[in-house]
Amino acid sequence: MASVKLTKVKKIYDNKVVAVHDFDLEIKDKEFVVFVGPSGCGKSTTLRMVAGLEDISEGTVEIDGEVVNDLQPKDRGIAMVFQNYALYPHMTVYDNIAFSLRLSKTPEDVVYEKVTKAAEVLGITEYLTRKPRALSGGQRQRVAIGRAMVRDSKVFLMDEPLSNLDAKLRNQMRAEIILLRQKLNTTFIYVTHDQTEAMTLGDRIVIMKDGYIMQVGTPAEVFDMPNNLFVAGFIGAPQMNFINTELLCENGKYYVTPFGVKLPVEGEKAELLAKKNVKSGKIVLGVRPEHITLAKGNEAAIPCSLLVNEMMGSELHLHVSTEDETALIVRVPTINLSTEERSSLVNGHKLSVTFEGKAMHFFDPNTEANLLV
Amino acid sequence: MKQYSGLEILRLSKWQRFLYKLASFFVAIPHAIVRLLAGIWGAVKGAVQKIGSELKDIVATFAKGDWKTKTSYLIMGFGNIARGQVLRGLLFLLFEAVFIFYMVTTGSYWLSMLGTLGTTGPTQAYDPIFDMYTVQYNDNSFKILLYGVLTIFFIIAFIYTWRVNVKQNQIAEKILASGKKLKSGKDDLRSLVDDQFHKTLLALPLTGILIFTVMPIVFMVLVAFTNYDGAHNGFSNNLFTWVGLQNFNTMLSWSAGTSGTQSYSATFGEILTWTLIWAFFATFTNYFLGMFVAMMINKKGIHLKKMWRTILVLTIAIPQFISLLYVSKMFAQNGLINLMLMDLGIIKKALPFWDDPIWARVTVILINVWIGIPHLMLIVTGILMNIPADLYESARIDGANAWQQYKKITLPYMLFVTGPFLLTSFTGNMNNFNVIYLLTGGGPTNAAASGAAGSVGHTDLLITWLFKITTGAESQYYLASVVGILVFIVVAVISLVVYSVLPSIKNEEDFQ
Amino acid sequence: MMNTNQAPAKRHMGLKALNRASNTVIYTLLVLISIIWLIPFVFIVFQSFRVESTWQVGYVIPKQWGFDNYIRLWNTDFKKWYLNTFIIAVAAAGLQTIIVLCMSYTLSRFRFKLRGPLMRFMLILGMFPGMLTMIILYRVLSDLGLTQSNAVPGLILVTVASSGMGYYVSKGFFDTISKSLDEAARVDGATRLQVLYKIILPLAKPIVIYTILTGFMGPWGDFVFARYVAMGTSSGYNVAVGMYSWLTNDQISSYYTTFCAGGVIVALPVTILFMCLQKYYVEGVTGGAVKG
Repeated sequence: MASVKLTKVKKIYDNKVVAVHDFDLEIKDKEFVVFVGPSGCGKSTTLRMVAGLEDISEGTVEIDGEVVNDLQPKDRGIAMVFQNYALYPHMTVYDNIAFSLRLSKTPEDVVYEKVTKAAEVLGITEYLTRKPRALSGGQRQRVAIGRAMVRDSKVFLMDEPLSNLDAKLRNQMRAEIILLRQKLNTTFIYVTHDQTEAMTLGDRIVIMKDGYIMQVGTPAEVFDMPNNLFVAGFIGAPQMNFINTELLCENGKYYVTPFGVKLPVEGEKAELLAKKNVKSGKIVLGVRPEHITLAKGNEAAIPCSLLVNEMMGSELHLHVSTEDETALIVRVPTINLSTEERSSLVNGHKLSVTFEGKAMHFFDPNTEANLLV
Repeated sequence: MKQYSGLEILRLSKWQRFLYKLASFFVAIPHAIVRLLAGIWGAVKGAVQKIGSELKDIVATFAKGDWKTKTSYLIMGFGNIARGQVLRGLLFLLFEAVFIFYMVTTGSYWLSMLGTLGTTGPTQAYDPIFDMYTVQYNDNSFKILLYGVLTIFFIIAFIYTWRVNVKQNQIAEKILASGKKLKSGKDDLRSLVDDQFHKTLLALPLTGILIFTVMPIVFMVLVAFTNYDGAHNGFSNNLFTWVGLQNFNTMLSWSAGTSGTQSYSATFGEILTWTLIWAFFATFTNYFLGMFVAMMINKKGIHLKKMWRTILVLTIAIPQFISLLYVSKMFAQNGLINLMLMDLGIIKKALPFWDDPIWARVTVILINVWIGIPHLMLIVTGILMNIPADLYESARIDGANAWQQYKKITLPYMLFVTGPFLLTSFTGNMNNFNVIYLLTGGGPTNAAASGAAGSVGHTDLLITWLFKITTGAESQYYLASVVGILVFIVVAVISLVVYSVLPSIKNEEDFQ
Repeated sequence: MMNTNQAPAKRHMGLKALNRASNTVIYTLLVLISIIWLIPFVFIVFQSFRVESTWQVGYVIPKQWGFDNYIRLWNTDFKKWYLNTFIIAVAAAGLQTIIVLCMSYTLSRFRFKLRGPLMRFMLILGMFPGMLTMIILYRVLSDLGLTQSNAVPGLILVTVASSGMGYYVSKGFFDTISKSLDEAARVDGATRLQVLYKIILPLAKPIVIYTILTGFMGPWGDFVFARYVAMGTSSGYNVAVGMYSWLTNDQISSYYTTFCAGGVIVALPVTILFMCLQKYYVEGVTGGAVKG
């Protein structure tokens, strides 16, 4: 149970490539923090620096107030789950889980008790005498987690633990990790490239790109108020639509003019724009697919034609093209459509859409930063 | 030369493309040489700068350091001991003591004689008491050179250790200033099996390499600049001396040798040419025939794969000297093959397997195929199994026949993966002493080339020639050393050129 | 309709026939290859049992069979040579394996500052013909009293001391063991030493056996340096040097068949050992040689 603090942590490889730039983050005790970003963004490197598997080029890492830069991994009070499980192939599952306990000279009866308890929690008791190669991917992952569990560590590190599993198993394990977290009640740092995992697991999410932190915040914060274009595009699926357009300020009211159609900005967003005193000008407008609605007659709407209709079950993902051939994705709940309407949605079908004024995002086209932050 | 862009190349015909690639390779050579030289220059400059900054740091450490640090400049390890790191300090101190003791007792003598390699040879003195002559050994050039080199190694090691000792003080001061504790002797010992474990692991192997490989090579390189030979190695005369580049002049000049009919350089050129021819054929006959055999065994539908493989592998197990010597005698003038053929009446006169230059060279290459194929077969089999099967499946769907599949998939893949292996086996074959020496002993004699540099045969490689020079009647060590250096240069140049064109120069981390 | 159906079938038959023909050719070639590769060894065995003459003859099957050559072998220095070689082989197999494993494991796993320069340096060292250092190594050994009749320890010393240079194959193998195993063990609380003997060594069994096997086989064929170090003293010979002396022009007429008998005695144990451990050898060669 411990806090983790990274101060100006930097990783420079021998060939002068900087993998992580001035990483600053304070992780509170018992917090579940997720590092997320595309591959090569430095998230795993940062985690490995916390673990002590990678040298820290500059800056300090503190665990529980103690600077651990010069400590060996084993002396840092951490446990870690690896992407490829890293189970010792020549040992049985039992020996795998017991390995760390035996290294610390724990009496065998305590080892037995701890290992069987962990196995029970993870539901792998019947496999204890098997070798890892006789297990399925999900079972191996459980063993890897079990091995980390028995360490009674201060910080629990997980490096893309679910990325080698198939989609169904991944969903199941994700739920189990949430349960595990409640049981262990310790500090977690979790690395993933999957934004869904990040959103569902994390108390806070650290979004990284090219070695820089793009945004740190709760899932709701990063979703509702992304710092910049990158975060806006990375979080949420399908991806947010971006449209180069203009923001107009007329008589204290704000409008956007995508594709020559004037749409009002409403609600909290309009208030914030006014508070920040944002002037008229070119912007990148961001609208999430679920905030684009099919126009119902009289309101101002953008005409477009349907390219692809993806039926997802509870909702439809409509890929449409505007008159100037900009592609947009629209997400429509199936329940809002009549059978008739649904069957008319074939390729080439003409429809018109409108954006919800209270859920728009505004970005500076040059700095890519959110104008409201 | 016209430069083509990636898409333009695609529009060229196959031959044009090949010629273009060939031309660009040769055009790139001067550039590569310039880059190499720039690299060397950069390294030298870097080294000088490094020494400069080290010196600056040493001075700065002295100026800023406390009295413990300052004392350590004279008494190594003092700072460590004074700050509680007794184990480290004692080791430094011990090293310094041993060094000073060695230099005072013998080191200075070896070092001072290194310039002349000794001046007084063995002297005889009449001993009136025993009524006999006794030999008194004075300077011994061999020992002077050997121990001189060792002493220089030792001095370099001392300077390095002294530098480490200074650096340690600097680091210790910094750590103490930041309020942290220094590592204790126990910590140091523990780190030798943990974060410093690589030092523990490497200590023994590297010491071995230093003493039994590096030191002898340095020594032998130096011998090339002396007149050390059998005549300067006896009981009556054990002095030799520096002669500068004279030996290189002798070896590389075109004028005929003193007693030979041919200049050294002509002999060297002849042997080098054969060495390269041999290495080329030995490498590529084995490579392609080995690949052929492996593919035959691996073909779908061939049964008893394991048996065929085992038969070939069996021949690897038998020590080479037995198979080579036996086969050598089998093909001899009065060997099994000739006798059998004559008994059967197929030939009347013995076939000159070892007695005719061309016959001998061809036979050596053929027998080398016999020796080498099992090995290649194993290696190739391993790689063949790694070629993804779907490559072949998609090629078959695209309509490729067996030969096209080989040409378009198997061969490029093999060449890509085995590039470095081919290079090492080429240089390995250049120095393949056993096969040549045990089969022919270098023969048949090449009368024209034999001369001052001993007897030379038509199948002699540079390496067997070197051996003959060394062990021959005159034991011209200095000449052997020159040949050795030239072999090194040839191998290094070939390796550099090949490495610069190999497609599989890869970052080793990519594979992990 | 008929036509379109038959055409592929016909072609199919053609393919099959072609395949059968090419397989026949391959079998013929394989049989031929097997004969060529095995024949010299079969000849050696036959000739080692020949009693009627000790020199080369124009036929293979002995006219008179017997163990004379083997008995004769017993009465020469062959016993001593054999023992010498065996001692060197065992010592080299043991010590060399330790050194090579230390070297290759370190270079595969540790990323220290001098790693790159060290590997480059050894690559360059390897380009010098080793033969060159023979003279000085001989002098050093002779100063230590380890030549001629004491050649055995001298040969062991020289063989083992520079064996660290041959780390390529086993480094290639270590590189294939996932590094995350090391990392997991270190997080689990193992020191680097514990990682080595608890995790890596048990997994490196094939390469350990490969290294031992090659270390053991090497000295049986060691010829040049062994001859130089023994310098004509029969009691310091190994089998290669000793048996080579039987094939010199003045000895061969009386020792040729004895050489064959000696060859059989030398090859037999090495071959049997090799066949038992063949699996590991193949693994080592195919895995490590190319990766290097």
